[in-house]
Amino acid sequence: MIGRPRGRQLGLRAKVTLSFAGGGLALSATLAIGTYLVARNYLVDQRESAALGQGFADASFVREGLLTAGTPVSDVLGTVVPPADSVLLVHQDGEWYSSSLTLGEDVVPPPLVEQVEAGAAGLVWARPDDGAAVVVGVPVPVVGAEFYEVVSTPELERTLDTLLIVLSAFALLTTVGGALLGRYAARRVLAPLEVVAGAAARIAGGELQTRLPITEDPELVTIIGSFNSMVDALAERIERDARFTADVSHELRSPLTTLTTSVHVMQGRRDELRPRAQQALDLMAGELDRFGSVLEDLLELGRLDAGTGGQVRAVVDARELVRHALAVSGRPLTLLSDSSRPGEELGIEVDKQQLNRALVNLFSNADLHGEGLVAVHVRGASRSVVIEVDDGGPGVGVADRDRIFERFVRGGSRGSLPGAGLGLSLVAETLRAHGGSVRCGERPGGGARFSVRLPLAGVGQVAS
Amino acid sequence: MGPRLLVVEDDDGIRASLRLALQDEGYDVVDSASAEAGLEVLSQGPVDLMLVDLMLGGMDGFTFIRTVRPGSDAPIIVLSARDDTHDIVAALEAGADDYVTKPFQLKEVTARLRALRRRGGRPAPAPEPAPDVVTIDAEQRLLLDPGAGRVRRADDDVHLTVTEYRLLCELASPPGRVLSRQALLESVWDRGFFGDERIVDVHVRRLRTKIESDASHPRLVVTVRGLGYRLDTR
Repeated sequence: MIGRPRGRQLGLRAKVTLSFAGGGLALSATLAIGTYLVARNYLVDQRESAALGQGFADASFVREGLLTAGTPVSDVLGTVVPPADSVLLVHQDGEWYSSSLTLGEDVVPPPLVEQVEAGAAGLVWARPDDGAAVVVGVPVPVVGAEFYEVVSTPELERTLDTLLIVLSAFALLTTVGGALLGRYAARRVLAPLEVVAGAAARIAGGELQTRLPITEDPELVTIIGSFNSMVDALAERIERDARFTADVSHELRSPLTTLTTSVHVMQGRRDELRPRAQQALDLMAGELDRFGSVLEDLLELGRLDAGTGGQVRAVVDARELVRHALAVSGRPLTLLSDSSRPGEELGIEVDKQQLNRALVNLFSNADLHGEGLVAVHVRGASRSVVIEVDDGGPGVGVADRDRIFERFVRGGSRGSLPGAGLGLSLVAETLRAHGGSVRCGERPGGGARFSVRLPLAGVGQVAS
Repeated sequence: MGPRLLVVEDDDGIRASLRLALQDEGYDVVDSASAEAGLEVLSQGPVDLMLVDLMLGGMDGFTFIRTVRPGSDAPIIVLSARDDTHDIVAALEAGADDYVTKPFQLKEVTARLRALRRRGGRPAPAPEPAPDVVTIDAEQRLLLDPGAGRVRRADDDVHLTVTEYRLLCELASPPGRVLSRQALLESVWDRGFFGDERIVDVHVRRLRTKIESDASHPRLVVTVRGLGYRLDTR
């Protein structure tokens, strides 16, 4: 599979989740701020009008007291019993009188003093040491004094603080809720997409019969229909390509047989030919061998593609198989290095001819691209048999180790050598058909090592 | 003149080149482009060996083999595509002795022909010392007479093909020995390690239908699971 580009880009699911969370936050924050402001205005208005009313009432009481001649201001203030949170202040003849021992004229903001001295009642918010307070000023011109009442409002502060906390918590909850909803919605919306992605991955993996289930959902009918017909078209095309290759190679069998047989006749009568004709015959024979080998590879690949390969399975000993593969390809048996334990059974259930072809292809690859076959190791591994084919070449670069098993990929640096590049792909496909695998790695000490792994046949099945 | 070889092949190129090559190998080649023409050739006189393509226009190779088999015990080698793995078994069951897959090298064909020919050409004058007659099944009065090169049940000859006879001889020398498919492939068909073991299995089945009293419950040529076959004389 092709690797997906991974960047800082957010996934669709994350985007939907974030949008929902953002929307939830915006909505809940607007609501919360609005609610807070309205509530705050209302409460403040209420508090102000209450303070004003109380201020005027207390002012008139103080005026009555002061009108009684001779009564000192502090006595008058003593007779007034203001509510617990209020402090009364009187400014007369440049002197300040307070009903509290701690609060003095400092709490009254100078602008209010000026306003009241000018003869107009007023109200301002002030900030004495502990929390907010409303200061109401009322002129009392009859006695040449100004009356101030400082009403501190701790309960208003507390109410507003609580409201702020509740609304913030609400906004936070709404945001989290939005994110969860977004996640859920994204999952619901993306679920069909995931089904499509899964199906596409299976198809890419070779399961061409995979189709999406037909749905009634009007939103999905089109995409599922298009997807399925696309896969139909793809499968048909792949099948047509495979059939074409198979048909072509089948068609080539008869002419090739005639050619090789005729060349065989000419080789038998080589002495009757002039030297130039003999040279031409040798060239022809050599190329026919190559042609035949490529055609055999193609036919074998076609068989594997069609799934008709591996029909003639028999249990054989892996060491025997390697020995015969070396023998039929004219290589010395001393190349076999038997690393199995004494008496170890290395039976594998294979199509002998196919496996032989795969092994000989690996040997030829070592000769053509790896400066010669160095050794073939056979050993048992857990429930499998490992055959390692070592060459003495420069090895295969890490980047090419998978690529070389694709069809028609030649060794890059030595592309002029014979071999159409089918050999290694045939090896890979043959092993896949046998439930095994082939891997290209590094030989200790340099060179390439192709490791073939095949499942061990059931114990006791090895034919004597 | 060498052994008489009938080639039945509808591809003109293959047929003509096979004739040239096999004549050079010393065979007396008669060829025919169809099964019908091949039957015509056989009606004029016996041949020693046959090379038959399975895919023929008109009558196919299977029918041809089934038609000639009762009257001829000459070895038949079929030419087939290796993909048609069921065809190969079907051809062997019809009575073919061995097969070669296309595209083939001539040396594969000559090797097959030589292997089957070497065992044929009976009944040769008894080599000395004459091998003993083996009683295979006393109940059926079934005897293998290697000296005379035949198998008899009571007073009649049991009709075996050359290869079936060779297989029985191999199993009977001496009886009671387990022979692996690989060993039989080597000794009877001269096939090496890469030979197809199904050839042995099909021939054993064919042999059983001819010598066993109940071929579905063989008591003479028995299968030894995982090892091969054994002849149990009774």
